[in-house]
This record gives sequence, structure tokens and C-alpha cells, in this order.
Amino acid sequence: MASKKLRRTGVSAELCERLKRHQLETCQDVLSITPVELMRLAGLSYSAALDLLRLLSKACAPAVSSAWDLWRKKGELCFSTSLPALDRLLRGGLPRGALTEVTGPSGCGKTQLCIMLSVLATLPRSMGGLDSGVIFIDTESAFSAERLVEMAQARFPEFFSVKERLLEMASRVHLFRELTCQDVLNRLERLEEDIIACRAGLLILDSVASVVRKEFDTSLPGNLMFRSNLLGQEAGVLKYLSQAFCIPVVLTNQITTHVGEKVHCPQWNQADVSTEEDSGFVTAALGNTWSHCVNTRLIVQYEDTERRQIVIAKSPVAPFAMLSYTVQKEGIRLEGNENPESVLNQGTDPGLQPIRVRTGFIYNLSQATPSTC
Amino acid sequence: MHRTVPSLPLAPSVKVKLINAGFQVASDLIDMRPLQLCKEAGISQEEAVEVLQMLRDDGQPHQQRAATESLTALDLLHQEQALGSIVTFCSALDDALGGGVPVGKTTEICGSPGVGKTQLCMQLAVDVQIPVCFGGLGGKALYIDTEGSFLVQRVADMAEAAVQHCTLLAEDTEQRQALEELTVEKILSNIFLVRCHDYVELLAEVYLLPDFLSEHPEVRLVVIDSIAFPFRHDFEDLSQRTRLLNGLAQQLIQLATQHSVAVVLTNQMTTRVSNGQSKLVPALGESWGHAATQRLILHWEGLRRLASLYKSPSQMEATIQYQITVQGFRDAPDEPRPTPATSAVSSPSGNHSKHPRMEDRS
Repeated sequence: MASKKLRRTGVSAELCERLKRHQLETCQDVLSITPVELMRLAGLSYSAALDLLRLLSKACAPAVSSAWDLWRKKGELCFSTSLPALDRLLRGGLPRGALTEVTGPSGCGKTQLCIMLSVLATLPRSMGGLDSGVIFIDTESAFSAERLVEMAQARFPEFFSVKERLLEMASRVHLFRELTCQDVLNRLERLEEDIIACRAGLLILDSVASVVRKEFDTSLPGNLMFRSNLLGQEAGVLKYLSQAFCIPVVLTNQITTHVGEKVHCPQWNQADVSTEEDSGFVTAALGNTWSHCVNTRLIVQYEDTERRQIVIAKSPVAPFAMLSYTVQKEGIRLEGNENPESVLNQGTDPGLQPIRVRTGFIYNLSQATPSTC
Repeated sequence: MHRTVPSLPLAPSVKVKLINAGFQVASDLIDMRPLQLCKEAGISQEEAVEVLQMLRDDGQPHQQRAATESLTALDLLHQEQALGSIVTFCSALDDALGGGVPVGKTTEICGSPGVGKTQLCMQLAVDVQIPVCFGGLGGKALYIDTEGSFLVQRVADMAEAAVQHCTLLAEDTEQRQALEELTVEKILSNIFLVRCHDYVELLAEVYLLPDFLSEHPEVRLVVIDSIAFPFRHDFEDLSQRTRLLNGLAQQLIQLATQHSVAVVLTNQMTTRVSNGQSKLVPALGESWGHAATQRLILHWEGLRRLASLYKSPSQMEATIQYQITVQGFRDAPDEPRPTPATSAVSSPSGNHSKHPRMEDRS
């Protein structure tokens, strides 16, 4: 790894001493300077400097495998979401070893989806789960343990009829509450130990946006770059964790208003598009750089007063697609997808995909609506 | 022979001693014996031998090489044609690139998120393996993944589609024989995969690439997807980042020419605010724009995906439309193509890689 000390790589002790005098102690320090600088600082000839760099590279470089090695472990590539149409489009489910982002307006079901995935991860493999623990980093204090239990009982009534199983499931979900950006970053950098201790098979961060948007006012100069750097660092750590432990990582994001030309969205009815909003539209928050960092982006949005939609906006395996769902007692339920549209080979920039927000509120006293967050 | 001693690639302490002993130019040293040099300059015996060996390697063969190795442009033309290029299965893009992604050069692909950079890279990793009798290169690929977007199910789909496409085109026995060996498993096992988590691992991997390519001479494509991600957030000192990126660019160009591989790099886009307007420009700074030989920018226009050839020493600037289908990277459907859809990619008889450069490209 990059922070390996030079002493342990087979470099002679005398050379280590010489390098230490110039504050070059780890592989990272030496590889971050050019060969000519190394020549000067270490007192080596050019070819000796290149040899030293090659020796250190051998100590740091990752192993070479092949795509066939990955393909052979087919069963371990994905985490099934238990929503068949979504799994089909994603070629198995959420990818293990990559970041999946769920973004959308408030109250649409992002945290519900996270809670549902937590339940699924604790299930035994025979039922499509990962038989593992879950690490849930909550920055909005939106996690509700009661909802977790209610969802588990409603979704798998026979399995969770035994009370011990329910308690065991709940004990496998480990919750961390972090309220500032620095806390989140510190927690992520120490998360390896927690993942091993909890035997976690799923990592959820709900949400990335709330802490960042609280602390960074992007209208001030310099803050935008600082924020992008922080997000890039978080993404780097999360990608390392997800690949090293081969686990899916789910992040939630919020929405923001994008000022500019409206981008046309495929499959929308022209009648629904409000014509007055030419000056801005709602899109995923955290900007263009963050859109590059996540590997898969799922947008949840409102379709009409009752139904909502999941849009696959960015994915290395799935085409652009929309699926309708509702939030019920047992979590997310896909419905209204009886006529699957033929796969459209179109799409839009996932950072500029317009998102439908809730436009009207229905106050219905007689119905007991399910408690959504 | 007129090279001054301070410019030699020796250790600084040795150079200082040589200069103090009065040796100013390389020709002063060339006729010395090791023991004599050792006594006069006050350096150790091993250092003296090293100095003389370095001078010997530097002097003679260099001059000899300079005399015999001047290439004419005609030689280069033959070489370039022999190297070939990798098709992308999008004939409009292949036309714009002059046959495909060229071997022996570095190509950079920039684009917004989700536009298809990783899809194109995966498609190239499959296409480089198309057998020679079908007009391909029959080579292997090395995929350096820094983002985690390499999902093998997608590559398997693309490989399946490529095999089916070749099956439709097979005309003679040689092609049919080659087809029997072309299976999805074989295609996947010929893609070497390296996962780098930060810029140090990426730099380390590139230092080791010459050895790797010497051990695997069938590799014809090296993909780095993406080169931007590890370099965008770990650096406070941007000038250090520029130095490292320049060094990286030099090493990659050297690799491309010495080992006859096509090097493909993916870059991200960044927002630049100027005069109150924000534009998307390729990331990694202005000086990085000089790094690659060819630059391709993929961008969205409404619902369409467009590719623009932005920088190329041999091709004109062009913008074409493409799409990503279940089979992979393909032409967009509304291009006016007289040929039916099944032979949308040129068959061997009209293959662009065999299209001689000397003919008029219009």
C-alpha cells in the first residue's frame, strides 16, 4: 500500500537514512516526486533512481487479475434488491464493490429504501440476502428502528414470526450518528475495524448531502473547491472500502435547483411539463464532480399523487429506465409496470436530469396513511 | 562527446568530485582507465566503473544509431499502417478517427458523467481481441480501473454481441476456425484488470508497465479509467500535480511507441466559472490538454450523445452521434446508412483499418 515505510521494502538502510533526511519515509513520499528530483535528493544516478522507483512500485502496485477471475465469482457480484424489475435492469442488483447513490426530493422514499435494504442484507443467502451485518451512518437522525421491525415483519411474515429472528436482525444493524462533515470523514477513515467487527455486508450513508450543505456556502469563493475536495476524499475512502470488502455502498443525496435551460427528459408527457419553469429545474445536488464519483445513480421522484418512480439515471450496466413504485408497510413495492417500455437507448446527463417534486398536497382525514418519513 | 560533466546522469556527489578533479567534458573521461580515474577524482572503484560504462553506452551506439536510424516518412507510413487501429463498432466514430483508435498513440476521452466513457473503454477492450482474419488486431488488453465502474456483466454482454457479430460476418474457413476459439470466456480472460485506489498506486503501476508489456507482448491496448479521479482531490500543491501528470504523460507516450500499444485515458469534466457563466471543460488543468496525442470529447445534447474529435494530428475535427445499446457502443439509429442494420459495421472487404492513408479521405 502507499503508506508502506521504505524500511520494509528492501531498500538499503543507508539509503533509507538519506531519504529520511529529506522527509521521504514512505513509498508515497518517494513516488510523489519526479525521478530528477529523486536523483538530487537521494544522491543517486538517473538509472539508480529509476531502479529505486521500480522497486518501490513493486511494493505498492496492486495485483493484476483478469475479467475472467471476476466473472467466475458471478454469485458475489451483486446484492439483490428484492424488486425483480429493478434487479433485472441492473443485471442482478446493486453492484458490490461500487457506490450506488439514491437521490430525490424529501419524503419520496430514500430512507425507506435504505431501511428495506438493511433488512434484506441480514437475511440468509437462501432468501436472497447477504447474511451479514449492516453499517448505517445516519446524519439526519431519520433512521427509525420501529420502522425497521415493522418492515421486516410485513415483508417476510413467516420468516420473522419467530421473535428471536427479529431481535437478531435488529442487532445486526449498527447505527452511527454523525452530525458534521469532519465527523463523517473521521468515521469513514476508521470504518475498516467496524466493518470487520460487525461483519458488515452493506454500508449505508444517509445522507451525504445534508452535512455538506449545512457547512459549505458555495456562494463564497473557494468553498466550492473545498467542498469538491472533501466529497472526492469521501468517495475515495468509500470506494476503497467497498472494493476491499466487496460490499455494496448506498448513499443518499438531496436535490437542488439548477438555473438554466431545461433539459428534455425522455418518456415524459408533454402535458405534464409546466411551461413556466424555463428559468430553473430541480436536479440532484452536490454538483458535477460528485456525479462523476458515484458509479450508479438512482433518482426517486413523484409521478402523481400516489405513485412514485425510480429512474436509473447513471449505471455502467443498466440503460436509462423508469419504474413506478409505492411505499407500503412492507417497504417499497413496484407496481404499475405491466407494460414495460422497450428499452430506449437514450438518456440525459445524470447531473442534469430533471426531477419531479411533489406539487400538491392531499389532506385525507379518513384514510390512515402509512407512516413514511 | 562534447557533453559537459554536470549534464551526465550520474549521482551528484560523483559529479562534484569529477569537476573538482578538472574533468569538464565527457571526452576528457572517455580514455581513462578505472583505477586511474579512481585515484585522480577520489571516487570509489565501483563508481569509476559505473562512470566509464555509462559513457561507453552513451557515446558509441548513440552515434551509430543516429547515422543508421534516420527514418524516412515513407518508412513511418508503412509502420503506421502496419500498426493498425482498434475499431469501436460505431462506424461514424471509426471514420472520424481514421479507422479506429490508433495503436502507438495516446488517446484521451473526456466527458460528462454517464455519457459513455467507460462503455467505450469496455468496448475497446473487447474489440482489440477480434481476430486478424476479421480485420482486428487479435491482441489482449490491460484495463486499469481507478473508479470501480468496470462491471464484468456488461463486458460479458459486449463480448457476446461481438462474437455474434463476427459469426454473421464469417465467410471462409479461416474465419470460421478463428470463430471457434472466440468465446466469451476467452475474451474475458484476455482482459487483464488492475484496480488502483489512489494516485500512488496508479503511478506505481505505470512504472511497472514496461516490464508487464515485455512479459505480455500480445497486449495491444492499455486503458486507464479514469486518470482524473485519483488526481482531483488529494493534492494541495497543484504544481506538484502538474509535474506528476506530465511525467505520467511522457511515460505513457513512450510505452505506446516502444511497445506498440494503444493507450486510452479517460478524463472527467469540471465546471469553470468565467464572466459569471459556468462551462464544462476537461479536468486536470490546461497543461494536461497537451498530454495526449488525440482528444475525444463525449457530450450530451438534449437526449443525444455526441462525440467530438477535438485534437488530432492527422484527422479533421468532426462531431458524430453515437448510442449505447444492449450490445455496447454503436452507431445512432437515424444516421442515413444505405446498408442494412446487420452489416452496419464494415465487413472485412471494406474494413477501414485496411483503408490506405494515401487515398483521399473524402
